[in-house]
Amino acid sequence: MLSKEHGIAEYDFGARLIIPDRLTRHAHAHYLKYARQVIHLYANGRGKTRRELHTAVQEIFSDEPDCPVRRIAAFCKLLDENANYDTDRRGAAAALRRKVFGIAGKFHPLVEQPDNLFESSEMLVKQKISDALGMPWEQIDQRLFGDVIEFQRLREFQEPESPALLLARYNVAQLQVVLYDAIDMTIRVKNDLKLIVRQAKLTQLMHRIRPYGDGYEIHLDGPASVLRQTRRYGIAMAKFLPSLLSCRDWKMRARVQARGGNWIVDLHLTSTDGFRGQVESRDFDSSVEEQFAKNWGPEPREGWTLHREATILHRGQKTFIPDFSLRHLDGREVLFEIVGFWTPEYLTAKAATLETFTEHDILLAVADVNVARFPMFQRAPIGYKKSLSVASVLRALNETTGNKL
Amino acid sequence: MQLTFDRGTLLLRVPAADRVTGSLTEAGWKWDHRIPGWRCDAWRYRGTIDGLAAANPDLEDLVPAWEKVIWPQDGLPQLRPEQDTALAKWTESRQGIVIMPTGTGKTEVALAAMRATCVSTLIVAPVRDLMYQWHRRIVHGLGYDAGIVGDQIYRVKPVSVTTYDSACIHMHQLGNQFALIIFDECHHLPGQVRSDAARMSAAPYRMGLTATLERSDGRHADLVQWIGPTVHELTLANVRGSTLANYEVIRIPVFLQADEQSRYDALSLKIRQFMAYRSGTSEKQSWQDVCANAGSDPQSREIMRALRMKQAIEDRAREKLRVLEDLFRLHAGTPIIVFAGSNAMAREVSRRFLIPCLLNHCGKHERLDALDGLNDGRYSAVVANQVLDEGVDIPAVKVGIVLGGTASTRQSRQRLGRILRRVGDARAALYEVVCAETREVNRSRKRRSTDAFQGTRHRRI
Repeated sequence: MLSKEHGIAEYDFGARLIIPDRLTRHAHAHYLKYARQVIHLYANGRGKTRRELHTAVQEIFSDEPDCPVRRIAAFCKLLDENANYDTDRRGAAAALRRKVFGIAGKFHPLVEQPDNLFESSEMLVKQKISDALGMPWEQIDQRLFGDVIEFQRLREFQEPESPALLLARYNVAQLQVVLYDAIDMTIRVKNDLKLIVRQAKLTQLMHRIRPYGDGYEIHLDGPASVLRQTRRYGIAMAKFLPSLLSCRDWKMRARVQARGGNWIVDLHLTSTDGFRGQVESRDFDSSVEEQFAKNWGPEPREGWTLHREATILHRGQKTFIPDFSLRHLDGREVLFEIVGFWTPEYLTAKAATLETFTEHDILLAVADVNVARFPMFQRAPIGYKKSLSVASVLRALNETTGNKL
Repeated sequence: MQLTFDRGTLLLRVPAADRVTGSLTEAGWKWDHRIPGWRCDAWRYRGTIDGLAAANPDLEDLVPAWEKVIWPQDGLPQLRPEQDTALAKWTESRQGIVIMPTGTGKTEVALAAMRATCVSTLIVAPVRDLMYQWHRRIVHGLGYDAGIVGDQIYRVKPVSVTTYDSACIHMHQLGNQFALIIFDECHHLPGQVRSDAARMSAAPYRMGLTATLERSDGRHADLVQWIGPTVHELTLANVRGSTLANYEVIRIPVFLQADEQSRYDALSLKIRQFMAYRSGTSEKQSWQDVCANAGSDPQSREIMRALRMKQAIEDRAREKLRVLEDLFRLHAGTPIIVFAGSNAMAREVSRRFLIPCLLNHCGKHERLDALDGLNDGRYSAVVANQVLDEGVDIPAVKVGIVLGGTASTRQSRQRLGRILRRVGDARAALYEVVCAETREVNRSRKRRSTDAFQGTRHRRI
């Protein structure tokens, strides 16, 4: 992700919109050439310092009339994200400095012209140090600040798949910079609700879902948002954006605090705007869930198959997507929710949600430490310590359906 | 009825039917229909808990996760009278700001407050160095190995130290773990998001420490809300000569060398011609316009670069290194700290004189080694840019040399604070080495227009 200093955006004051910088196929066709050049530069830049590479990138853009300084800096940042620099982890430069300054300390001050009072000349002391370390002074001088970020040397560079991909990443990165200043986000979803909700949950923001038209509306902000407009949760929204972009059939509106002022502008985005998305690989919101799904596997067990977040319940304004739906070959369905190791507030909220949906047949698994604090619903919960066993769930399922029959 | 700490806010869960507005709304609470329940900023905890508990006998207060702390040892020095007064004033309400000039022992006042309060304490410092310095002071003074949150470490203990940036990021999960929160150099706190470090903390006891409360953006008023009013103020004039060393400011103008001057003049000419040309052809001519045009106009970009090069020439004028040599000769045997105007200049000084250079890339150990070395005489001088700007203790130093730098008032006062430490009867000296006949002279003038310099002797060499 870029930093705020790389952000470029325009405002449409009449419509109160913020429009982030975007390189388009028409207006910026010639940028493909630049993208190819800078990729080539990095791909052949092994051993060059970060500063040399950045200066060279600036050179490539120097005659381009349409190119803000920030855009150049942003390209450097994006390229650096694909690059690995030698970082001097063992502190070789620091150790060298300590040796050099330690020796030089005895001769302070190093003067240009020695005299009776101060007889240590700069040249002489440098020669002494060079002899003591068995290394020519030029080499010492070159390595002395080898750990400064600008002087780090490129070790490897992972080439983007295509120049166009670099430009696409730039466009998404500019959207993200705008979102750093976002105070909340509203998404109207038709198709990919489950996927979007799952990704939204990962942000750890507060989300509300309500039916809207023939789809749903998801609202994202944070705990303190009810007290004041705060940009605190903007970064989480920016991190969520790439996964949103990879979903289908949605419209998004983010309210953004315009810099320097107290006025709010909107960022509008839809799934058809043509930005390139990227799904987060981490799609479970708790490791217990993830492990359980893995243990269960894709095959039916005793006739039951496991489907993740396959059912949406809603009642009035409240929506609830249980973690799993268990479907039997004979058509029976049991909803299954795992209550993890969370805060008391989480437990209370979870209990309230379940209270709302008591008419549904929901099987619960509750962490042992929380069982006592959790209210009792129709059925005794399955307790678990660190991980949830498949056998205990099957046993509960058989009991459930046994009772019912 | 339950009161909980929820990610930086207080949450009061009541049945929707009992949604009494009135007093809660007045006290800054808002109805959160997402839960539903009442919510307010965590800093209001102290102000609301008593009233809330009195009005609701069944209130279950689940907020405090802080604990009592027993200090393993008491090795704090005896407080001086002015420190004692500051502590007594703060103790009356256990909240508020103590204003004391750098070098008059703010840290000792805070440590004494910690010793007396004996509760989980979080100290928030501006930069990593200061965070580690607090850590050391707590070990030495109270025998407690405090936790660290910052510098890529997350180790929370009942007594912990952190930086403003880390505190802001993590306060939503730390806010109810500390009963006392101390903001060192608290003028750093205001800022829309950064102030979450204070807002999201439920600590009932709060202390702000600073030498200079005022901010150029006027937002210091916010501090009163989050930390409390100023409980004690000691001005520089009150302590000069008694606690602090007498000091004088000596300005040394340097001239650019012929080749530097000709490059400098060429750049100036280029910029002047460009501006004149632009003002002849269009209405746009201000610097803002040049900046704004830099994106679409390669020529503007070139001019911006010329300006930066001019700054670099001033900043790194070779003559400054010559003057530095003279000052090193003059004060041989005395520890000296050099403040460079930029990282590049700091490295240049370091490479020329082979003295340690404290910059952001230096690790904790290297910085400690440099400062300890300056104390015990292994090093005679160190050069720094920003790292040493505020509050880092270097008791024995009484000669400072400023090479360039920015015009900010606070920076110069803090820098002065570095060298104003009394060592025997010796007078402290601050040298300012500036390029003559360039814009640096103006910056120096602005820098000296603060109260920190009033009554100091100004000399030109």
